[in-house]
Amino acid sequence: MTNHDLNDGSAVKHRHRHEGPQKHIIAFVFSIILTLIAFATVAAGGVNIAFTVLLLLVMAVLQVLVQLGYWMHLKDKGHMMPILFMAGGFFVAGLAIIAALYWMWW
Amino acid sequence: MTTPHAQQASSALPHEPEKATLEGRNKVLGFWLFLGGEAVLFGTLFATFLTLRNQVADGPSASELFSLPITAAATFILLVSSLTSVFAIQAMHRGNRTSLVRWLGLTVLLGLAFLALEIYEFAEYIIHDDYGMTTSAFSSAFYTLVGFHGAHVLFGILWISILIGQLFKKGLTVVTAPKVYVSAMYWHFIDVVWVFIFTVVYLLGKVVG
Repeated sequence: MTNHDLNDGSAVKHRHRHEGPQKHIIAFVFSIILTLIAFATVAAGGVNIAFTVLLLLVMAVLQVLVQLGYWMHLKDKGHMMPILFMAGGFFVAGLAIIAALYWMWW
Repeated sequence: MTTPHAQQASSALPHEPEKATLEGRNKVLGFWLFLGGEAVLFGTLFATFLTLRNQVADGPSASELFSLPITAAATFILLVSSLTSVFAIQAMHRGNRTSLVRWLGLTVLLGLAFLALEIYEFAEYIIHDDYGMTTSAFSSAFYTLVGFHGAHVLFGILWISILIGQLFKKGLTVVTAPKVYVSAMYWHFIDVVWVFIFTVVYLLGKVVG
């Protein structure tokens, strides 16, 4: 009977292969920490401006990568086309920002 | 032998119901293309904002205008709502409609809280500080970028609310599952855009406003 139940449990687990919430909660905690670092640095003030700007941008990029990778599953197998679409979108967005700044101010 | 409960859950729906049909898979793939286009759309708004961010005319500068606690609260609310929509999809993968609807409902409520905070913030600028769309190039770019994101939040709230109604009416099937999945992708994307907004508009505004 016990053996039966054990087999039963593993069979169900195997067929479903549901991912648990752990990974997503870790991604959430990571996002919170990155956000807190960014806000705390600005709230504290007094830090070198160039360093602060760099730190904020790194925190933002890291958080976006965590969320795209884990919550939107881009990290998972079989996401080549979605990664291409998003990378293409971000590339053109970055190009637009650089072009607009260059066009206006240089 | 499987228990009746496990059997029911597995026979009712495939493991990932959003990818069970070709139509579902195409819907998800097509939505990624749409999100790539959305990234370009927001990219142009960011480009406008970054270009005009110092053109404040007679109005206050970014660092004088913004309040960090409100932005921090809005950020936290949207981040939690992204997590609740992850839990909604996990409930969907377990075939649990009740739990799915609850997590979607919570996501909608958090979206409403975010929107209320943004409306309060804008009203404070417009009424209290007399700081409107036409005050300066900076204010136009600011209201356009942040307001456009807010409009996306509003659209997401309406979309997910309608989906909740459809889940009650039609149940969780291989037809409704891709719709739920795609709306969760949209909601995550809104949060991704907000990460850039709170960093580039608010935090950088405080540092180099």
